[in-house]
Amino acid sequence: MGNVFDLIVSTLTQGLIYSLLSYGVYITYKVLDFPDLTVDGSFPLGAAVTAVLLTRGVDPYLAIPIVIAVGALAGLATGLIHVKLNVRDLLAGIITMTALFSINLQIAGSNLIIGRDIDTIFSAGPTMALLGSFSLIYRKLIISIIIAVLFKLLLDAYFKTRSGLLLRAVGDNSVLVTTLAKDKGSVKIIGLVISNALVALAGGIVCQEQRAFSITMGTGQVVFGLATVIIGMTLFRKLGFVKGTTAVMAGSILYKSCIQAAISMGMPANLLKFITAALFLVILVIGNQQKGGAKKNA
Amino acid sequence: MRRIAIALFIIVIAVVSAAGCGKKVPTIGISQYGEHASLDNCREGFIEGLVDAGLTEGKDFKVDYQNAAFDDAIASQIAQNFSSNNVALMLAIATPSATACYAAAEDKDIPVVFSAISDPVKAKLDSGNVTGTSDKLPVEAQLDLIRRLQPEADSIGIIYTSSEINSVSTIAEYEQKAAAYGFTIMSIGIMQQSEVTLAADSLISKGVDCFSNLTDNNVVGVLPSMLEKTREAGIPVYGSEVEQVKIGCVAAAGIDYFELGRQTGAIAARILKKEAKASEIPYETISEYGIYINSSALEEMGIMVPSDIADRAIEANN
Repeated sequence: MGNVFDLIVSTLTQGLIYSLLSYGVYITYKVLDFPDLTVDGSFPLGAAVTAVLLTRGVDPYLAIPIVIAVGALAGLATGLIHVKLNVRDLLAGIITMTALFSINLQIAGSNLIIGRDIDTIFSAGPTMALLGSFSLIYRKLIISIIIAVLFKLLLDAYFKTRSGLLLRAVGDNSVLVTTLAKDKGSVKIIGLVISNALVALAGGIVCQEQRAFSITMGTGQVVFGLATVIIGMTLFRKLGFVKGTTAVMAGSILYKSCIQAAISMGMPANLLKFITAALFLVILVIGNQQKGGAKKNA
Repeated sequence: MRRIAIALFIIVIAVVSAAGCGKKVPTIGISQYGEHASLDNCREGFIEGLVDAGLTEGKDFKVDYQNAAFDDAIASQIAQNFSSNNVALMLAIATPSATACYAAAEDKDIPVVFSAISDPVKAKLDSGNVTGTSDKLPVEAQLDLIRRLQPEADSIGIIYTSSEINSVSTIAEYEQKAAAYGFTIMSIGIMQQSEVTLAADSLISKGVDCFSNLTDNNVVGVLPSMLEKTREAGIPVYGSEVEQVKIGCVAAAGIDYFELGRQTGAIAARILKKEAKASEIPYETISEYGIYINSSALEEMGIMVPSDIADRAIEANN
């Protein structure tokens, strides 16, 4: 039954890579309480930059910090528009997302494909030196685990710093931040910068994994991110010791698994979204009931 | 942590039970980018091409058909599903599905056969264990057809999606060849489907003599509303394949996607019978094109069809 095992491996890989996006949405939506629509633009931004860099012969590892920086700029744009120009949160995100649509096309020219003769982080020299004995799908899994766990730990560590604590305070009780004589605007900007850096990184890794950039790949990513955050928080967060980042990582894996299960069961693709919606609803309802039960017990 | 583990375990079981069936009949995984008349015709032609080559469905092959509903992330998951199930062959219809299948097959030796791709070279599908058929438009035949039907026309308006690799390379060919037929091309690149009718308004106001369509998914998707505008303005629209003529384009020099699919099926049959490897078969471009006309649309525009064209043209009218 090697084939089933392969399927699980590649589904886990997808879930792990996309969990970077979920972390990003977790920061804005859950921690900052900021519905950030920039994601639909910053995700393909990461992919566009990656595709251009790789096809021009830039080292695939070097593409990672570049993509993070570019994504941070996208978040900075939304943050400045919101804080400095006093544009409402939703609109600020929409403005950046819309602009990014053109910027992404300008960067990439058109949809781009990374040929097999070009190395990605899954096939470049250093990777092969360390993991050369594994087949490609396992290399992809191992690297995805490393990246997803590394950024989870970095984020967890960040949330414990002064800046991270302020970030959480803005979402929970912004008055407190003001009384601490801190500017909540700049805290929001920092949150948006980190969030979109992660989202663009997700786009970049997806692009390296799939060897393609398409202008439409951002469509629906905000919804995906929100769904994974809510699924993760609903199902796992009430276990006190599970960190928010762990919960959304699990949410992302769960979401991708549901889609893969639907495909494997031969669900007609036109119904996939509906099935996803139904699953989403079921999970939320279960989560709510458990929450009610917990209260009664207490 | 334990709950997470349990949840993941349940999913694993679900996937296992869903995917676990390993019969001996080789499976062909068909990944189609979305439901779309031309792409559907292509798929049906493909099956017929296999049958023509003497293969029987259920005995020599079985089909696992999936479509991605025009979602790239789903196209990629479909491809991984095929790869994990070790299908005997993947048929990918349209560029995004093809690149996804080819990427998923990277470390396995699963042959990928594509169809309905205009530019396999640009899509990097011209080497490796991959082959198929290209639906490159017969641009010169189309220009010739427009010249014959509208001897007085000077300009052709074309709306295309600037991010589609297929459309960009076809526009370049149009611009290069139009002068030889005495046309100038007025093209507008769009990014989203909602911009198509705006672009049509703009070209109408600039006074184009006719429109010509590519196989651009965004434009084809809203063709009926575009045709409403052009009909009002009295400007004929030429299609690029039979389905577009059926819904109201005046004529088209285009390929028949069913035939394209059949040609693709013949290639796949050679691979399945182990007569050749995909890497040894160069991709094919369909050389045959048909002329399709819609008499009622032509009449409405007051266009007379020369008798030699009328003789070979196929009426496509719903």
